[in-house]
Amino acid sequence: MSISLTEFEKDALTEIFNIGMGRAANSLSQMANDEITLAVPSLAVVTYEEAVSILTKTAGEKVCSVTQRLIGDFNADAILIFPENNSLSIVRLMVGDAYPGDLTEMEEEALTEIGNIILNACFGTLINIIGGDFDISLPSARTGACVHILEIEGNKSGEIVMLLYIDFILKNRTIYGHVAILLEGDSMPNFIRKIQEFLATL
Amino acid sequence: MKVLIVDDSALSRMMIKSLILEKLPECETIEAASGDEALGIDIEQQPDLITIDINMPGMNSFDAAVQLHEKWPSAKMAVITANIQNSVRQKIQSLGIMFLAVVEKPVTEERMNKIIKAL
Repeated sequence: MSISLTEFEKDALTEIFNIGMGRAANSLSQMANDEITLAVPSLAVVTYEEAVSILTKTAGEKVCSVTQRLIGDFNADAILIFPENNSLSIVRLMVGDAYPGDLTEMEEEALTEIGNIILNACFGTLINIIGGDFDISLPSARTGACVHILEIEGNKSGEIVMLLYIDFILKNRTIYGHVAILLEGDSMPNFIRKIQEFLATL
Repeated sequence: MKVLIVDDSALSRMMIKSLILEKLPECETIEAASGDEALGIDIEQQPDLITIDINMPGMNSFDAAVQLHEKWPSAKMAVITANIQNSVRQKIQSLGIMFLAVVEKPVTEERMNKIIKAL
């Protein structure tokens, strides 16, 4: 299975996801009532095993995540991942001033909504630009070890993962996160074909 | 007519160029991948229109817009950006430059028309 993207294809995908992140930042800034920087500085295509190793090193053993499934011209699980010890910080920064109660009680719900906004903006933008027909499932939040978060339905060994690095800057704090896109079975060649078809129209 | 496209993404530069040439086939385009690169272009190149992205690595894009305006005061300018937050729009307005338009990415035919009609 081909997992290679040309530099131009990588640039194109990074830009498309940055456009999506710009939309998400606009929505989230209205929630937080403050400016938010949400950017994808880089993107890598790696194997499942490499993704687990990279995420464990950068996000830590325990992470919090929000997952949505894309079904259509290619099938994929999109997972937003933050270090577990940052999840409450994100919720506090986003809604802290406006929420009178105990934030830990609504941490999962708030993270799910933040994930929903980010993932939908990213994949909505991708689909609008490259075309196609997809269903996006409802978001679900989970906390646990990276290896278990990525292993959504059974063993993913050998699958291809597109890893987006995210800078989330709010109130002078930078929180680094990731979006891992697990492309199922033969979805990677279909995904690359969709990107190439779009680029050929320019 | 000469257009300077300042954007770090090759994809966005290509999309902007393609839409400009569709509307203005005689137009000449120059590309720069950063504010620094744009400011390094020979002053004799004198663009009539400059499109600039807001989130680019390296030099701050707001500073780049101001310096490009100082370098080529007669060039009309437009912002094409994915960062459409109110705070960003306010910063753009506070630069003291009359922008033709602030357009959200991805640039589409309709959005490009907004810039071209304002020329």
